[in-house]
Amino acid sequence: MTVPSLTSEPPRPLVATVLFLTLAVSVTLPVVLLVLWSLSGRWSFPNLLPNELSLDNWWQVLGDDGIGRAALNSLTIAVGAWAMAKVPMRGKRALEMFILAPSIIPGIVVGVSVGQVLLTLGIAYTTFGVILVQTIGTLPLMIRLLTASFETLPDELIHAARSLGAGPLAIFRHLILPLAVPGLMAGGLLSFVGSFEEFDKTFVTGAPVIQTLPTKLYTYLDPYSLQFPLAAIVSLILLLPVLVVFIAAGRIMRDDLMAGGMGKL
Amino acid sequence: MAELQLHSVGKRFGDTVALRPTSLEVEKGEFVTVLGPSGCGKSTLLRILMGITEASSGEIVLNGRRIEALPPDKRDIAMVFQSYALFPHMSVRKNLAFGLEMRKVPKDEQRRRLDHALQICNLAAYVDRMPRQLSGGQQQRVALARAIVMQPSLMLLDEPLSNLDAKLRDSLRHDLVALHRQTGSTSLYVTHDQAEAMAMSDRIVVMNGGEVVEIGTPVSLYRNPRHVFTASFLGQTNLMPVEAGNRQARLPWGDVVPLESNHRGAAVVSLRPENLALTPDAAGHGEITAVSFMGAQANYVVRIADFNLKASRSGGEALLEIGARVAVSVTGPVSLLAETPALGRAA
Repeated sequence: MTVPSLTSEPPRPLVATVLFLTLAVSVTLPVVLLVLWSLSGRWSFPNLLPNELSLDNWWQVLGDDGIGRAALNSLTIAVGAWAMAKVPMRGKRALEMFILAPSIIPGIVVGVSVGQVLLTLGIAYTTFGVILVQTIGTLPLMIRLLTASFETLPDELIHAARSLGAGPLAIFRHLILPLAVPGLMAGGLLSFVGSFEEFDKTFVTGAPVIQTLPTKLYTYLDPYSLQFPLAAIVSLILLLPVLVVFIAAGRIMRDDLMAGGMGKL
Repeated sequence: MAELQLHSVGKRFGDTVALRPTSLEVEKGEFVTVLGPSGCGKSTLLRILMGITEASSGEIVLNGRRIEALPPDKRDIAMVFQSYALFPHMSVRKNLAFGLEMRKVPKDEQRRRLDHALQICNLAAYVDRMPRQLSGGQQQRVALARAIVMQPSLMLLDEPLSNLDAKLRDSLRHDLVALHRQTGSTSLYVTHDQAEAMAMSDRIVVMNGGEVVEIGTPVSLYRNPRHVFTASFLGQTNLMPVEAGNRQARLPWGDVVPLESNHRGAAVVSLRPENLALTPDAAGHGEITAVSFMGAQANYVVRIADFNLKASRSGGEALLEIGARVAVSVTGPVSLLAETPALGRAA
C-alpha cells in the first residue's frame, strides 16, 4: 500500500544532489583546507594553493614531546571520565539534580570554581584532577542516556526472569546490563568525544602543566605566534574521534534495532 | 490435596479493596480459567500469585508448600505473558534455557527438556532465531515453551492470546489445550474473553468487582448460572422478571415454566436464546422485529409483552421475516438468578 503524496512529486534526484553537494562542501572543504595547511611549507596571500608542500610540519608536531603527551593525556582523561560516568554508584539518583546543574552553567565558570577546590585539595594541575573536572561535564549526559535506556526496559521482562528463577543479581547481569549496552555505548562515545575536545575546564584546572590536544591547539593559535600549519595538524588529530563515532554509531544503530524488538512489548 | 490452595487471599490499597478475601482450589493437572471484565480483580490475583504484589491477607499453598511470603524466583510458578516478554537479546534457544540455567538443571537434562518443548511447541526450525525475527504467534509459542521447560507446579497464563489476530488466536487456542493435555501441567488461565474460557477450561472462576461470583464447569455455568452476572457475561441471554412459586415461574407473557427452586415471589430468570422455540403462528404473542443471519444460526429479536427477546434458530431452517407473528415456547432449562452480590463497591 502506498500513501499518496499531498503535493506533486518533487524532483527527487535534484534535491538529493543539492543536499549531498552542500554536505560534501561543508564537511570536506574545511578538512581539505586543514590538510593543505598541515602540508604547506609556505603559503602566502594571493596563492590559491600552498607555494610548496612538505611533511616538515607533521614531523615538527609529532616530534614535539609535548604533543605526544598531550594526545596521551587527552586519551587518558577521556577514558577516565567515561569510566567514572559508567560506574554505578550508590545514591546516584539522589545526586542527579546536583549533578545535572553543571551542564547548565558555562564550563569556564565551573572550571574556575572547581579549580579552586582542586587547588585546596592539592590535585590541581594533575591528570587525576582534570579527569575529575571533566567527569562533572560528562556525567549529566551519561546519566540521562542511561536513564532513558533503562526506562525502555519493560517490567514484564523482569517479572518473567524472576518467575524463571533469576534473583536480583542474575537479572542485573543477564538482563539489565546487556539491554543497556546501546545506551552505555552511546553515552560512552559522546562522553569520550566531549571529553576529548573539552577546553574550558581543562585549561583552567590543568594548563599549562597538563596539556590536552585542545589546549595545545590554542597555544598554536595564540596571537603572537599564530602557527596555522601546526594548528591544522592538531585539528586533524582532533577529528579522529569523530571518525570513531561514525563507525561506532553504525553499530549502535543495529543494536538499537535489537532493542527495538522490545517495541512489541 | 489440591495442588494450589488459596485461603482468604485478599488485597487492599488503603481504603480501596482490589481483591476481597478469595478462596480457591485447583487440582493437579486441572486447567482453570479466571474470567472477568477488566478491573474485576483477576490481575491482582495473578500478581499476588506471581509474587509481584503482596497479599494483604490470606495464605497460598502450592504443592504442599506455603508460598505467599516467598519471592517470585522461589515459587515454582512459570508465567506466560500477554506481551510474551521474551528476552530480546537472546535467541530462542537461550530464552528457553534461561530458566533451566538459573535453576542449575544439569546440562543433559536441559537438552532433553529443551528438545521436548521445541518439538511439542513446533519450534525446532526457529531455535537459533532472535525473538524479533518471529511472528506474534511464534513468539507466543516460544513464551509457552519457555514456561513448559520449567515443569512448574503451576503455569500462570495472562491473556496469552489477546495480542494475536482472530484466526491465529483460534489455532493457538487449540494448541494450548493440546499442550496442556500433553504436559499435564496445573494451569491458571486469566482472560476477559468468555469464548476462550468456555472452549478451554475444566473449570471457570467468574470474577467481578474484586470478588469471585461463581465457580463451575463451562457447561454448568452456562446452563445453570446462579448469578445475573454469570448469565449475562457468559454468552447471550434474556433476563426476565418472573413470579415464582410452587417450583414454577410465570413469564411476563403468561407462560408457566418449571423451576428447580422453592423460591416464592418476584425473581429474575435467565432464558438462553437457543432455548426459545419460535413457531410461525398468526395468533402468536410475539412479533419478529430484527433478523440477523449468521450462517450456522439465525438470530432474531422478538417483541413480546413489551420485552425484546433474543432468540436463535438453526441456520438450516427457513428464515422468519420481520413483522411475522410467532408463538414463543421455552424448551430448555430456566435458571433462577441471584443478584450478583457487592457489585462495584470498590472501584
